[in-house]
Amino acid sequence: MPAGIHIEAIDAFRYRIPRDAGRGMRTDVVVYASEALMAQIRKDLSLEQAMNVATLPGIAGSSLAMPDIHQGYGFPIGGVAAMDAADGVVSPGGVGFDINCGVRLVRTTLSADEVRPKLRELVDQVFRDVPCGAGGAGFIKIGPKELDRVLADGAGWMVKNGYGEERDAGFAEAGGALEGADAGAVSSRAKERGIPQLGTLGSGNHFLEVQYVEEIHDEAAARAFGIVKGQVVVLIHSGSRGLGHQVCTDYVAEMNKVMPKYNITLPDRQLACCPIRAPEGQAYLGAMCAAANFAWANRQAIMHFLRGAFRRIFGESAHLDLIYDVCHNIAKRERYEVGGKKRDLLVHRKGATRAFPAGHREVPADYRHVGQPVFVPGSMGTASWVLVGAEGAMRETFGSVCHGAGRLMSRTAVRKGKDARQETKKLEDAGILVRSETRDGILEELPEAYKNVDEVIEVVHNAGLARKVSRLRPMGVIKG
Amino acid sequence: MFEILEHPADIGFRAFGGTLPELFANAAKAMLSIACELDDVAPKAEFAISATGADYESLLVNWLSEVLYWFDGMRIALREFQVTHLEPDSIRATASGERRDAEHHRSKLIVKAVTWHQLKIARAESGWMAEVYLDI
Repeated sequence: MPAGIHIEAIDAFRYRIPRDAGRGMRTDVVVYASEALMAQIRKDLSLEQAMNVATLPGIAGSSLAMPDIHQGYGFPIGGVAAMDAADGVVSPGGVGFDINCGVRLVRTTLSADEVRPKLRELVDQVFRDVPCGAGGAGFIKIGPKELDRVLADGAGWMVKNGYGEERDAGFAEAGGALEGADAGAVSSRAKERGIPQLGTLGSGNHFLEVQYVEEIHDEAAARAFGIVKGQVVVLIHSGSRGLGHQVCTDYVAEMNKVMPKYNITLPDRQLACCPIRAPEGQAYLGAMCAAANFAWANRQAIMHFLRGAFRRIFGESAHLDLIYDVCHNIAKRERYEVGGKKRDLLVHRKGATRAFPAGHREVPADYRHVGQPVFVPGSMGTASWVLVGAEGAMRETFGSVCHGAGRLMSRTAVRKGKDARQETKKLEDAGILVRSETRDGILEELPEAYKNVDEVIEVVHNAGLARKVSRLRPMGVIKG
Repeated sequence: MFEILEHPADIGFRAFGGTLPELFANAAKAMLSIACELDDVAPKAEFAISATGADYESLLVNWLSEVLYWFDGMRIALREFQVTHLEPDSIRATASGERRDAEHHRSKLIVKAVTWHQLKIARAESGWMAEVYLDI
């Protein structure tokens, strides 16, 4: 972290960096973190990036940083920024290259005791059935016309075309498709990258993890989500693949071109933005919604292949239901009270999860009495969490909470002196089977590369942004 | 010709070149060496690749994004680049490589995109150097 940043502790879980007009900041930065996490956060450029976000025109409230924040490019990862819908800006970099990267949690009718004897068979089957897509294409063959329908209908297209069950789409954020998608605003290059990659996991931090429910912290919410202790669940982490990456690349270039026209100057060109109301801003939002729908279709297809793998190993009685699907890279039109006034905002969540509380109309009817499920993956050797959205998120963080453990070490640093075979064996000894298409996939995502997910969860739980529901332990991991 | 740079979540590289055209060629090789095993790629065919920009920095981002599109969109793996024209606003090059084939080409990391994060083009001891971070 560069010297000269003034940080004040608000309480045990909140810190403030007051607005510094000299740096062009229009508002404060508020960081949700414990003292220990704050010490780690200070080590990289993430706070400076959160301060840069505070310079964006039309920012409402504070530039927010979640406890899993780490250095990104332009925006920090784990950042939330709400822009006034009338006179604010939209930033493609503020959504990220992986538009609607997100997680879905699937519950099974099996217990850990039933799965463990066949775990190796199951993991091998899932590894065969769910391609990561690094080298070749996926199993779904569609043409440009069908792709346009996928971009309009998201998860619903998959269900309609046999890649899912009727109930699935209703249990994804926004019903698995954002309104306002404009396939015409998506370049032919983005479509070309997307078509062969539909139904593939991707690499990097994307994964599919077979887990079991280790602890229940909130009985009522767990009951609503259909989870009990010892049950096997599957967490899928993927996004919009090459299609979303190209949409972001195209529009960052476009925004860099038009910024002078709108008299916008920024401390970092990766933050490139334009007014929401400008034609370029509207075009980006149409393309972003289309890419988000591609991502929901992608995660739906992966879940369909997963169902097939479970049936092959455990027979027809093994049933898989979607608990929920949340995105953590997105910009959404939402309404919040800021400074005593209700305002229409475009909430940029870059590595942050929506966390609506009980009673919110956008939470599926089955869960509305407890709140929206939130999934926070840890690293492949530790744990993941199910949370439920709380009122504090509506008051303080534009209905948002953290999205993961947050990386601590670079890919090269964590790999140093390690052998993939040995590390795989170590995880296996701890009861976790790992399959990866690439050697680097395992080494670069080792547990020590990440912050302690439990510490991150303590912060958001105690700050009242979301409540703990359940802790999940990994059994089998598929990595790109 | 290039070295890997660390980033908490992603990855970067520092490329070198005696001249700016060499720098741009080496930057493309650096990026593709993160995505695949370059030694597996045979220079079976030649392809003409070009890009435009507003200055050398944006040209570098757009050039690398173009090469990435060839790799991930057109599914052509490239291993050698000969830059034939370079101005601050445009680049033209001939690249050699072949159609990607999962049987023969080992994949490494999936490169999502080229970022502006701490992007740098500067004079080096003997020629030029560029620093680029990739989203992976």
